[in-house]
Amino acid sequence: MSKRKVTDAHLPVGECITQLQEVLRRRLCCQQLPDRPDGVEAQHKHLLELLRRTAVHGESNSVLIVGPRGAGKTMLLKCVLRDLLEEKEVQKNLLQVHLNGLLQTDDRIALKEITRQLNLENVVGDKVFGSFAENLAFLLEALKKGDRSSSRPVLFVLDEFDLFAHHKNQTLLYNLFDISQSAQAPIAVVGITCRLDVLELLEKRVKSRFSHRQIHLLSSPTFPQYVDRVRTQLSLPDDFPDVKFAEDWKASVKSLCEDKSVEDVLKRHFNSSRDFRSMHMLLMLCLSRVSVSKPAIRPADLLEASRLCFTDSKANMLHGLSILELCLIIAMKHLNDVYEGEPFNLQMVHNEFKKFLQRKSNSMYNFDQPVIMKAFEHLQQLELIRPVDSSSAKTQREYQLMRLMLDHSQIMEALQKYPQCPTDVKQWAMSAFA
Amino acid sequence: TPHCATPSIPSRSLPARQPANVLEEARTRLHVSSVPESLPCREQEFQDIYSFVESKIIDGTGGCMYISGVPGTGKTATVHEVMRCLQHAADVDEIPPFHFIEINGMKMTDPHQAYVQILQKLTGQKATADHAAALLEKRFSNPAPRKETTVLLVDELDLLWTRKQNVMYNLFDWPTRRHARLVVLTIANTMDLPERIMINRVASRLGLTRMSFQPYSFKQLQQIIMSRLNKVKAFEEDALQLVSRKVAALSGDARRCLDICRRATEICEHSAAEPSATGLVGMSHVMEALNEMFSSAYVTAIKCASVQEQLFLRAVIAEFRRIGLEEATFQQVFVQQQALCRVEGLQPVSVSEGLAVCQRLGACRLLLLEPSRLGVLQRVRLNVSQDDVLFALKAD
Repeated sequence: MSKRKVTDAHLPVGECITQLQEVLRRRLCCQQLPDRPDGVEAQHKHLLELLRRTAVHGESNSVLIVGPRGAGKTMLLKCVLRDLLEEKEVQKNLLQVHLNGLLQTDDRIALKEITRQLNLENVVGDKVFGSFAENLAFLLEALKKGDRSSSRPVLFVLDEFDLFAHHKNQTLLYNLFDISQSAQAPIAVVGITCRLDVLELLEKRVKSRFSHRQIHLLSSPTFPQYVDRVRTQLSLPDDFPDVKFAEDWKASVKSLCEDKSVEDVLKRHFNSSRDFRSMHMLLMLCLSRVSVSKPAIRPADLLEASRLCFTDSKANMLHGLSILELCLIIAMKHLNDVYEGEPFNLQMVHNEFKKFLQRKSNSMYNFDQPVIMKAFEHLQQLELIRPVDSSSAKTQREYQLMRLMLDHSQIMEALQKYPQCPTDVKQWAMSAFA
Repeated sequence: TPHCATPSIPSRSLPARQPANVLEEARTRLHVSSVPESLPCREQEFQDIYSFVESKIIDGTGGCMYISGVPGTGKTATVHEVMRCLQHAADVDEIPPFHFIEINGMKMTDPHQAYVQILQKLTGQKATADHAAALLEKRFSNPAPRKETTVLLVDELDLLWTRKQNVMYNLFDWPTRRHARLVVLTIANTMDLPERIMINRVASRLGLTRMSFQPYSFKQLQQIIMSRLNKVKAFEEDALQLVSRKVAALSGDARRCLDICRRATEICEHSAAEPSATGLVGMSHVMEALNEMFSSAYVTAIKCASVQEQLFLRAVIAEFRRIGLEEATFQQVFVQQQALCRVEGLQPVSVSEGLAVCQRLGACRLLLLEPSRLGVLQRVRLNVSQDDVLFALKAD
């Protein structure tokens, strides 16, 4: 046995890299569940106890998981379910219904989905029979017949809970909460949402039936914890086949996390947002640069990835414009400065541009009106400018009022980086007067 | 599909576990679903409804009653209790036998489904809404030998409103027929519902037999919990009083009260490391439960936000103060944020990043935003009071 371990402890480097990519990508992109949810132990325990009481004792409950996007709400629920289903008694009894507000956009669809997932009697194959009203009556009847001690508990998971609150009359929510508050089949309703004001969306009678249990996922890791998390996210599992490679990788990750420039980059990301998903995004960009010739993440990779994450999209778009379009943008900027953000139309921009041309003797940019119109329309297509009112058909295009959708800092930044920008255009942009 | 399907949830392999200790026992009793045999603190209302329905049954006439009150004040439970008692009286032949059916406006997809459900509960027939309406019309207007009185409970009446109001009109018109023998009890939340949404001929048929359920006072709430616990000693006296006073001050909703007590037993059970001296649910547990269920998370959310998000909120307030309005465009706020970044010695953010920060705050509703298509022109408003933001940012 030990001999065999020694022999396959040295896989070729290419094989190791493939394995590494597979392990880490599953963690970063596929949202693989961690063994233990870190930082949310209290919430994990609360939810686990609650769901266990539903599954084992047949107590009906309702709860909302609230937290910003990317804070690990679904991860928490999935971890709890995984831990809960390890118990045999629970595994045999618990029925699960998963709904998502983005898929079940109205009660009719949601009800069909519930009936299908519960596999009630009016389901044949994958098709649900009966009208909306019949489905509702059937489902309510089924749940009403059940009772606390003898029927199987049902877990309803409502992802994007706030969207369910926009359904007509909130019928589905009323019925689910009403069942959870009356002596019928035991159910647990778990809502997941990112809106902190979700209770204000509920109607009074629906709100009264909700148990007002909320689990908030508002954790604020400190910076050392954040770096720790980066390290654990990049670490290889203990059962990685090639020991030597795993050690090298561990050392490289350790040195990466101690690097000064890397710390600056991570600090910037930490300041910008603390959710895990943006961190995973950053690490994913680094990971994609690991190859056979370069089997470790170097600080330069992280810097490059961070630059990709933070680049300004609009300034990038400006780099791709022609000189004429850039000139129009500069003219609009001057108009904005002079008239304090009042909307403008093509004629005004053209006049401004002409003033610039008159001051310069060379007529390099002397374009005809149609050409300028075309450039203006191109800017509108790119949504760098936008009409003030959408009733575009009524006014002629030359006289339609527009607003510039760019900040001045973006224009100046783009001008600095514009490839071969003519000096006079640059000077015109810099000058305070048009 | 099977023609006579019997809707049911599959039954479990082992029966559910019974409560093992005092706290679990208390929790079972405190669950909203375990309605006691007789409701405390609603004796007067019970008596009124009972005598109203009883007299109608004995006389063989019909009538309407309108019951209102805020959610969680025991309206439906009281009516159900009245019906249970009357059923019992009918079983021992004190009053003539009657038929009780109930519908709920919220459990229907469409107001016209009311006809279908009433017909199905009366006769077991299935029909479309129009056909059911015709059948019911015939049933209630024609005399028939040996007809029993029907008591119809209509919960969440306001959901039965249609533009022509024909469902409500029919519901209140049938009892006035000579041969109908129909008693209609209607329940809704608002007291002035008949005046507000019903046209005259509907409101006049509903009549003036009205009853309103007042929110529970703290004494009543305390009594309700005591009667539910029924000698199971799990709470300290003061703890119960605190819960009932808090809930009575806020809404007088019995459901809320029971839920908080239930949560307090859980907290008590899990803080077993430092159990209270008596092993009962004490003040501290109840306080924790109350905080959990009543406090808003905005302040915590702001405290937990990232540095840039906090800066953005500060920039919003700074801009509001500068222009003296409660609304500003993203562009204006962004200028302030750049300035704040410089003051704090942070790297200035790009517009894309600033927009991302703004969207994140908008997604969890600390800010109210216009659609993000407007880019830098979108207007920003705060969804929390400025004081809350300043408090949250200053506290650390």
